[in-house]
Amino acid sequence: MFLPLIAVPLLLAGSALAVFTDEAWNVDYHYALLGHPKQSTSFFHQPNPSSRASLIFTLSEEGVLGAINPRDGAVVWRQVLLPGASAHNASFLRAGEGQDVVISGIGSQVAAWSAGDGRQAWSLDVNGPVEDVEILELVDGKDASGAKDAVALSGGDHPLVQRLDGATGAVKWQHQLGGTDAPYQVSASTTEVFAISLHKTILGYLKLKVTSLDPVTGHKTDEHMLSSENELATAETIVTVGANSASPIIAWTDSAHSVLKVNIMGTKGISSFEIEKHDGQAVERVELHAPYHLNSLSHFLVHYQTATSHWAEVFHVDLKNGKVGKAYSLPKLSGRGAFSTSTSDANVYFTRVTRNEVMTVSSASHGILGRWSVDGFNVAAGEGEEIEPIHAVSDVSVRGDTVSAVRSAVLLSTGDWVLLRDGSPVWDRPEMLASTVSATFASPAEMETLVQQLEAEAHSNPIQAYIHRVSRHLHDLQRLPSFILSLPQKIVQGFLGTSADGGIATDSFGFHQIIACATKDGRLVAVDAGNPDKVLWNQQVADLQPGQIWQPSVSSPRGGVIEISSKASAGVQYNASSGEQLASILPIDLAADQTAQEVKYTMHDGGLEATVDSSTTWHFMPTSGERIVSLVPRPVNDPVASIGKVLGDRRVLYKYLDPNLALLVTANDAARAATFYVLNTVSGAILYSNVHSGVDVSSPIASMLSENWFTYSFTAEALGDSPKGHQLVVGELFESLVANDRGLLSSTANYSSMQTGTEPFTLTKIYQIPEAVSKMAVTRTRQGITSRQLLAVLADSSAVVGIPYGVLDPRRPINRDPSKDEQAEGLVRYSPVIDFDPKWYLNHQREVVGVKDVITSPALLESTSLLFAYGLDIFGTRLSPSFSFDVLGKDFNKFQMLATVAALAVATFVVAPLVMRKQVNSRWQFM
Amino acid sequence: MPSISHWGLFLCASVASAARLTVSIPSTPPLLPNPGTLPLSTHAVLVGPPGVRYDVPIRRDSTFVFPDVADASYLLTLHSRDYFFPPLRVDVSKATDASQQQTIQAWQTFRGNEWDNKGPNYGSGKGELQLQLQPSGHKDFYQARGGFNIIGFVKSPMILMALVSAVMIFGMPYLMDNMDPETKAEFNEMQKSSPLTGSGGAADQLQNFDLAGWMAGKGTNSASGGGGSKKR
Repeated sequence: MFLPLIAVPLLLAGSALAVFTDEAWNVDYHYALLGHPKQSTSFFHQPNPSSRASLIFTLSEEGVLGAINPRDGAVVWRQVLLPGASAHNASFLRAGEGQDVVISGIGSQVAAWSAGDGRQAWSLDVNGPVEDVEILELVDGKDASGAKDAVALSGGDHPLVQRLDGATGAVKWQHQLGGTDAPYQVSASTTEVFAISLHKTILGYLKLKVTSLDPVTGHKTDEHMLSSENELATAETIVTVGANSASPIIAWTDSAHSVLKVNIMGTKGISSFEIEKHDGQAVERVELHAPYHLNSLSHFLVHYQTATSHWAEVFHVDLKNGKVGKAYSLPKLSGRGAFSTSTSDANVYFTRVTRNEVMTVSSASHGILGRWSVDGFNVAAGEGEEIEPIHAVSDVSVRGDTVSAVRSAVLLSTGDWVLLRDGSPVWDRPEMLASTVSATFASPAEMETLVQQLEAEAHSNPIQAYIHRVSRHLHDLQRLPSFILSLPQKIVQGFLGTSADGGIATDSFGFHQIIACATKDGRLVAVDAGNPDKVLWNQQVADLQPGQIWQPSVSSPRGGVIEISSKASAGVQYNASSGEQLASILPIDLAADQTAQEVKYTMHDGGLEATVDSSTTWHFMPTSGERIVSLVPRPVNDPVASIGKVLGDRRVLYKYLDPNLALLVTANDAARAATFYVLNTVSGAILYSNVHSGVDVSSPIASMLSENWFTYSFTAEALGDSPKGHQLVVGELFESLVANDRGLLSSTANYSSMQTGTEPFTLTKIYQIPEAVSKMAVTRTRQGITSRQLLAVLADSSAVVGIPYGVLDPRRPINRDPSKDEQAEGLVRYSPVIDFDPKWYLNHQREVVGVKDVITSPALLESTSLLFAYGLDIFGTRLSPSFSFDVLGKDFNKFQMLATVAALAVATFVVAPLVMRKQVNSRWQFM
Repeated sequence: MPSISHWGLFLCASVASAARLTVSIPSTPPLLPNPGTLPLSTHAVLVGPPGVRYDVPIRRDSTFVFPDVADASYLLTLHSRDYFFPPLRVDVSKATDASQQQTIQAWQTFRGNEWDNKGPNYGSGKGELQLQLQPSGHKDFYQARGGFNIIGFVKSPMILMALVSAVMIFGMPYLMDNMDPETKAEFNEMQKSSPLTGSGGAADQLQNFDLAGWMAGKGTNSASGGGGSKKR
């Protein structure tokens, strides 16, 4: 039977909770981030061959491909190619000269993207991980479309070289690289395609095997091994395997970085160069920068980096006799440097960015063509931290013999990606925030000083307190003149509605909270929620080795303080406003220690173990075949204003409120079932449990617990008689389901969950939702009076929705219309489908990509909750789930109010004599 | 050379068995006159049995191509920032023998209904299916505030009443002045006899109410002040 169930439009809730037009782009903020750009996959490129305007393209460590406008740093387009990618994932991005597509290779996919708007042109799944992608610059003459073909090298069990059609992505030919050698890279010259693989010798050293292929047929023409002797122990000391150029080269060093060896691909000769020692310090890094065009001069630059200094040498390749010779060297400078290559016609330019200057030289001679000093990168950094350039890409404009301007997109050691135009910073993208792993809200330290002073006054003797107070007031008086001076401006701004929220110090609404984000590379970055355009401070807090992973957790133990702790170290505290590290010896709060007993949870043999004072109190072992997916406790700071729900007839249903609740989710992979338990975390008692079968346990299962209700969502499998799709379950715990009755608890004044085991009565409802929820959170307000909204992260829509609780309420009546009393409560008839109203989308038209978690914090205003979402993008906003009842919003028109008052005043003055005259006249006329 | 032909064969075989699904978005004026305006983030997701999931982005020609779909029953959802699209059920069923191709079929499906409850068929194909999917609605994110509206303000009954009374207050004296003396006298006579405004009328009584007298227990019959005219 054809019976589409149409969702009841929830008019009441829908209209009450929405993003208002005038608040949409002002209250919320969003950083559309890409992640750490990689040197090898970042470049300037003209998306439209006919226009000279170029964009910066990058494929970041986070697996995001994007195009940046070099003018303002805005994202033109971006695509997430591999969600959850890290620096370990090999990725490639190539753009052919004069092409309107860029070709990416990541994971097992090679794809072409329209450079102007980012839409996909084609994609191909190669059978195995992509090891390299290159564009064949040679022109066959047959191909009229002008799309240049690509060559892809894939690894796996059957390493393959494939030539892909530039217009459709179809495979033109493929060549299987036999043997056990690991495929390493592919490269192309004007006449040949080279596949380089690493051959392991018996002694454990690596040898480079070069296979030459005919670019038209894919047939093997030659194969030889380069005699690298016993220098190559790991692939890491291979400096480069040259990409497209007139003469692609291979360069490597030994593990001590004492000698540089260069081979011109296709030949067997190896040129060897001693690496000079400077100041006796070991060379840490050797990088090679070569132009990427076939018709450029075959010159290249080798960059040497030691712990404290860097220098570079420029080499020329003689194409006729196949010799490599050193041309000149660039002097040693202290600190780190970044070199980049740019071309103009056949000429090659090298741009050097150091912490003090930007300079450009031609590859032909060492004469400096342009030099600009850098006064600073204009980014936040830790105290005393030297900001160093890590890598750069440059775009050089050449006029005659001189370089008239140079634009360099530089990745800094702080994680910021900045653009320097002639040495001065133009924009800055805080890409370090894209790898945020933990974040917290903290109140600013400035707000806390007043609280501390008031406390000091309260705890000292009256005379001292009085003196303290008078001196504080005198101190405050100093600010009076500036306050009076700013008053007229404030009033004018207030009338025009242009007033900014003010700084942190004058924040009376609590919107200026500090958000501290710990990033994957060991930095702690702070942003002001009320003024999110600028990073407040940015500090290296953990010294991580490359590839090392840390799992920090950031929290705010008290106002104005941020504490960061990880598995390896105890908590270190920082001042929230300045980022200053606080004394490592912490004052012990005796009062807190005596009242609260900590219960600690540890995962043990796949089960959960709770300990109080180092003695185990309870175990939770999932049944065989089940694994624990997540444990969500009730938030520590979860104020509840009312212990009951007032019904329409003024009776009360009592909520089951227990601070020690947690929602535990287990999954059974074999039975495709998920079990949800509500636990009492002190006694270990199971208060509620439910099993859902036919659950897709590989898709995310989000869960949340707050106040006396819990919610979770999962994806259900297709079964003939049950709906397939995503489901959301809401449960609410009550002391009893009889109104005005507290059940067993009615007679007790106090109770302990250790002694009495009262079980709640639980109401649940299941709803069908249009898409999967990857993470859940709930709004938090200061007193908990304001109604709550469930915040759900929708990964597929790149959105965060705020679902009003009224829509989810498990007490919605089934199969009947609500009675008068229920209507008074705001309950509507149950419908199994909830469609996410676009007005619930907190991000409205912004697209918040890759959100991993959402945190909320109460503002000082009861009506308002602050929200911060992180993952790849950073998104934050303010929410008023029950409207802004305690603050005049933007809808309040001050001008209109004043005009009304003025009009009434005028009317009074005009009408008063008229009325008086009329009254007098009427007496005289009618009496 | 042998390796190439071997792999070519393999490729051909894999192409033959692969079920290819192409979803295109036609131009549907007035809702979506140009599918090229769809945001870049528009993508299509096929959710199959646990662990099977395909996610493809929109292409230059506003299509979504799933090049190789395994045998299963899928839920096809199109996610777009600006438009709603109806969910579809896509079934890819196994070929009967190796030479045959997979069968792909697509129907509309209804959220919250059992999976066997299928809607209109969107097409079926052997080995390959191309279907068109039209958006079902536009997403409207913003809530406009009920701003100040002068016409709505004037239309409200309270304001209309106030306006009428204002006209009476200011207009009546002029009207009276322009009346000829006879009509004026007649009007005055009428006013006097009217129960509301005439002397001894309700308004007059109210205005000249003798509180002290009333407190002292004087009835309305006993003459006092303005009430005296009743005796006439």
